[in-house]
Amino acid sequence: MRFLRSVTDIFGYSPFEPIRQHAEICGRAVGLLQKQFHAYRRGDFAEVERLREEIDELEHEADKIKTEIRKRVTKSLMLLVDRNDLLNFLSFQDKIINYCEHVGHMLTFRVVKTAPEDIWDEFDILLAKIMETVNEYEEMVDHISRLLATSFNKKEIEAVLEHVSEVEKLEHECDMIQIGLHRKLFNSDGMNPLDVHLMVEWVVHLGEIANNTARAADRFRTMILGK
Amino acid sequence: MLIEAFAIILGLYMAWNIGANDAANSMATSYGSRALTLKQIIFVATILEFCGAVLAGQRVTSTIAKGIVPISLLDPHLVSIGALAALFSAGFWITVATYYRLPISTSHSIVGAMLGFGLAAVSQNYLRLEDINWAVLMKIVLSWIISPVMGGILAFLIFSLIRFALFSRYDVYRVESVFRYLQVLTACYVAFAHGSNDVANATGPIVAALGFLGRETPIWVLAVGGLGISLGVATWGYRVIETVGKNITELTFTRGFSAEFATATTVLSASMLGMPISTTHTLVGSVVGVGLAGGLASVDLSVLRKIIISWLVTVPVAAGLAIAIYTLMVIFV
Repeated sequence: MRFLRSVTDIFGYSPFEPIRQHAEICGRAVGLLQKQFHAYRRGDFAEVERLREEIDELEHEADKIKTEIRKRVTKSLMLLVDRNDLLNFLSFQDKIINYCEHVGHMLTFRVVKTAPEDIWDEFDILLAKIMETVNEYEEMVDHISRLLATSFNKKEIEAVLEHVSEVEKLEHECDMIQIGLHRKLFNSDGMNPLDVHLMVEWVVHLGEIANNTARAADRFRTMILGK
Repeated sequence: MLIEAFAIILGLYMAWNIGANDAANSMATSYGSRALTLKQIIFVATILEFCGAVLAGQRVTSTIAKGIVPISLLDPHLVSIGALAALFSAGFWITVATYYRLPISTSHSIVGAMLGFGLAAVSQNYLRLEDINWAVLMKIVLSWIISPVMGGILAFLIFSLIRFALFSRYDVYRVESVFRYLQVLTACYVAFAHGSNDVANATGPIVAALGFLGRETPIWVLAVGGLGISLGVATWGYRVIETVGKNITELTFTRGFSAEFATATTVLSASMLGMPISTTHTLVGSVVGVGLAGGLASVDLSVLRKIIISWLVTVPVAAGLAIAIYTLMVIFV
């Protein structure tokens, strides 16, 4: 519109809604990963491939959101949180979906035929636990809107910190399951060594999803308390 | 007679501009937070801008008319030409700046233009340089610096109070719903305050041109200014309110209330002191204040640089234009 003098520019770009969207995409990707493992176990490799593609697309979408946030959170913005804390936190959140993408690809490398059922059961348990961790994480990020609405009210900060502890607790539980899985895999003498190797890689990379969720939660806490 | 008629027409154009852009900007915060609908805002703005202009526009009008240039020392015909030149140059500069979306102030423009007229009179030896009321001019410039700062401090205090007294004790969404009604009041307050201060940018030169030298400003002149502002809001301002309001979605009722209350109080105080200040710059200061109090997710401070540049540019440009137009008119009229 021409012939307009306006003061709107004073209202800066707010990165918080895009951050929430990014976290939601991470949650969706973990959900797809869980489906991908189920498809793999069933032997439905066409579905495994299709889900890999879907996760790739999500990763791409998340990347665009991340880049947009990094571009627009400039130094002239007076944000409610420290700019560096925010960008640091975001880079860890982004790693959640990056590792989902890695694992998604690893499921297409090779058809594992020699794994016993109880190992597959353990994978199900691990994935369910990672899903739980990321869901908790998403709730934590959703809480930003209440933090903003109340201008970082003490009660709301405490509520957020509880989510952080919960994420950390769940991540520890993921660790325990991973250790169990590793022990089982390295003692499966009847398995093809290549199958063992691939599955160990899966476990490590799935672990990274949980690790980075916990790291992002930790940086989130730093960002909130840095206020 | 012709000069007087032109002065009224240009004054109306000035008032229309003020209504179309400045009034609209101050009212857009109420639209951004959705405290009122667009129709309600137009209704409130047209009525209260007019009331502010007529009931409290007296002092600033007198400052602009005779506070800077001692017009009683000059020939009335010359004053009419000078006031007309000032209106013309300020109106022209505002139109150009608006076209290029520069965040300039109408108050700064008219003060610069009146100063230009004074300097032109000095150059023709009708006045001595020391006859120009530099003390008042310094006070005005000081008020331009103080007003955004005061808006910021007030807004900071008001929002902090809301935050610590209400948010910590009651549910935030209930607090917001109460402030929805309070923000209707501050919207009226802003419109009234804005009318009382900015009307002078139009009526000050009219009063000078019509030769009300030593006397009080007649109410009908203020009414003409108020009417111009209301017309500006109703014929163009609603579009500005819509466009600007759409970009101010971050402002909740408590934030809008804080910014508006701080702005209106600052502007009305300035009106009482007879200081022609910029309402929009005060509003910007208030928004920064709310941001500093932790009320806004993000405030873009790069705007402040633009505003300061527009300050520095507006006064000399408006003054220079006024000198040129005045000189041309003295030769040809």
